Amino acid sequence: MKHFTNFSRAVAAGALAVAMSTAAMAADGLNLPNLTYRTGPFAGTGTPIMNGQRDYMLMLNERDGGIGGVPINYVECETGYNTNKGVECYEKTKGEALVTQPWSTGITLQVLPRTNVDRIPILAPGYGFSPMSDGNTFAWAFNPPVSYWDGAYMILDYISDGDMTSLKGKKIVLLHLDHPFGKEPLPLLEKLAEMHDFKLVPIPVGLKEMQNQSAQWLQIRRERPDNVIMWGWGAMNAGAITEAVKTRYPMENFLGVWWSGSDADLQNVGAKAKGYKSISFNAPGNFPVMEDIRKHVVSKGNSMIKSEADLDTVFYQRGIVISLYLAEGVKTAQDHFGEKNINAEQLRWGLENLNITEARLEELGMKGMVPPLKTSCDNHTGHAGGWMLEWNGEAFVQASDLLVPDRDLIRPLELQKAADYADNNAPWPGRGDLACN
Amino acid sequence: MFYRTSGQFKTTYESDQALFPIKQDMILLVVILAAMYVIFPMFASEFTYKALLVPVLIYSLASLGLNILTGYAGQLSLGTAGFMGVGAYACYKITTIFPEMNIVIALFLSGFFSAAVGVAFGLPSLRIKGFYLAIATLASQFFLVWLFEKWAWLYNYNASGAIEVRTMDIFGLVVTGPTASPVVQYYFVLGIVSVVTFAMINLTRGRYGRTWKAVRDMDIAAELVGINLMRAKLSAFAVSSYIVGIAGAMMVFFWKGAAEPNLFDIPMSFQIVFIAIIGGLGSVMGNFLGAILIVALPVVLNLLPELLGLSIGSATMEHVNVMVIGSLIIMFLIVEPHGLARFWALIREKLIIWPFPH
Repeated sequence: MKHFTNFSRAVAAGALAVAMSTAAMAADGLNLPNLTYRTGPFAGTGTPIMNGQRDYMLMLNERDGGIGGVPINYVECETGYNTNKGVECYEKTKGEALVTQPWSTGITLQVLPRTNVDRIPILAPGYGFSPMSDGNTFAWAFNPPVSYWDGAYMILDYISDGDMTSLKGKKIVLLHLDHPFGKEPLPLLEKLAEMHDFKLVPIPVGLKEMQNQSAQWLQIRRERPDNVIMWGWGAMNAGAITEAVKTRYPMENFLGVWWSGSDADLQNVGAKAKGYKSISFNAPGNFPVMEDIRKHVVSKGNSMIKSEADLDTVFYQRGIVISLYLAEGVKTAQDHFGEKNINAEQLRWGLENLNITEARLEELGMKGMVPPLKTSCDNHTGHAGGWMLEWNGEAFVQASDLLVPDRDLIRPLELQKAADYADNNAPWPGRGDLACN
Repeated sequence: MFYRTSGQFKTTYESDQALFPIKQDMILLVVILAAMYVIFPMFASEFTYKALLVPVLIYSLASLGLNILTGYAGQLSLGTAGFMGVGAYACYKITTIFPEMNIVIALFLSGFFSAAVGVAFGLPSLRIKGFYLAIATLASQFFLVWLFEKWAWLYNYNASGAIEVRTMDIFGLVVTGPTASPVVQYYFVLGIVSVVTFAMINLTRGRYGRTWKAVRDMDIAAELVGINLMRAKLSAFAVSSYIVGIAGAMMVFFWKGAAEPNLFDIPMSFQIVFIAIIGGLGSVMGNFLGAILIVALPVVLNLLPELLGLSIGSATMEHVNVMVIGSLIIMFLIVEPHGLARFWALIREKLIIWPFPH
């Protein structure tokens, strides 16, 4: 055991390095870090979103000098979707950070209990898990603008053309990633299947068989479902769409969640996937805000995008929308507290009292890009709804009016699961000393 | 000069067989333990605990478990992460079924579950060897992760599908959950790793260790001199999986705080195999050296550009990191194929005769 010398030396060097670097990290302005995944198995879908998030923040810095005149210090910490790296990045950034954006569900689960103690809001737009909507349990967590259960409801709402009783006797396949994320819509879909008497067939796709789904699609061919709903991520999406084309499944009956609607996944098959749909909380288009980004970021060569065409993709623009929520949270907090340099607790208040109206969206040059959103103490999601997008062979286009979830149906389920979570993690602080106003 | 052994006379068999027959080794150990127990906690930040010290200790322990099986008993295994998962899930179930139980007891009990599973999957080793055994343990890896995903009872039917650690204390001191202070968790992990390491050093020097080494070096010869192969191999599987299970439980309870089933998937198995190989198969110390190289070095490298005042994108740094670590691994394997532990042994031999090599 004499031999531990090298160990101690290396760790001592490490400890020293860490002590020095944490001191160096403090910087002026609003510290808004992002735990990115531009590397690793999910980089393909992650990169466009991260680019959008980054470019919106850079644009605010260039155009308005930050938010409320305070420059944004937007830092990325690369996790590669790896939960070990997630811990590292969270610990590294949390010191000065106003917010944490953990991205992967695994990292979110690890970080969520810690944020109560460290008193940092956690922003998980379009992911996280559905019960997060209950702000009285998850005081520090936010997942605007819609949760997965909202998404599942909206997809069925679209399929049934607004009348779910018409689903009676139909057969719907849920092709999902065999992972907590993929299983998320199951409780709600099962409940709806029971209520409206349609048959739900969940078909899991293992993490290792994402790219080879021939068995799953054979089963789909045998089942002859009226619709296939996909809850996929990363390589699973492209795999499923290719198989669907190969087995000649009617594309117009094939719908995905918002993470299954990346342009890159469909470009390979192009026109053959015409008719494929994906629910989304942002509609692609050439909005005034895009012009600002082009002018202030892209033309100056500060963006990380590969080509200008990336600007039009759904995922890049979704990144912009995600940064919009954060920026609006900061602004709401600044206005309310009358302070420009807000702290994490004030940002929490800001995110809890978001009110992004139609008029505000017009002002931001994002009218029609996202639905208006309003959050409150017991509603950390906003449940703003979304649109169905359809692949026309070259790009996604908006294919429906605004679809909104039936909150009366979903809310009890959220409350129940939120209470379960608090029980499992007892003693769970809940709202604690945070006043609701 | 510093490591001179002349003048240290052994007058009894006992002193000749002591754990540290050379005085300098003993001094070194005391210095290291003092550093671990006293000096680091005086300076370390929360980040250092969470990203460097605790992970290195936990990975070292897991690798130590694997080393018992692969390095000492010669049975190749690719199922380490799966057995870690068994330990973690067992500990989770024990602490939710018996919420009053002391976490230390739960931790040591959960090791028995992974040991039992390890023995069950070790049974094929009685008939098959080498690469074929590696494939058999690979099967356990896939099966166990599948089980963690499908058997909802294991994660108490959580909506998230993951296991989450609630707050637990020992005599009023919070050791798990979000409110536990990193220093407490560090001392807890350090204590357990120290105890297990000490036990393993003695075990591998003793009767069992010698039986395992005999089986590793040539199983037919071992059988001819009267070693019961079945007992030797299965005891190696049991001890190895026991330690690995504890490491898995500690990983979730004292480091991460929550875990999805796919955490225990094959990449982690490989990572631990790498730690064991680069550290040195058949050594205890090698596991710690290997863990520093594979687990801690990337974290430290990530901090470098900031220290030097360079602005490199985090993603670019990640790519650079992979390249640097990869080439370091290759370099170490070329320079010393028997691992870092052997590397240190050579240095030590040189030190003993330095500065008069003749």
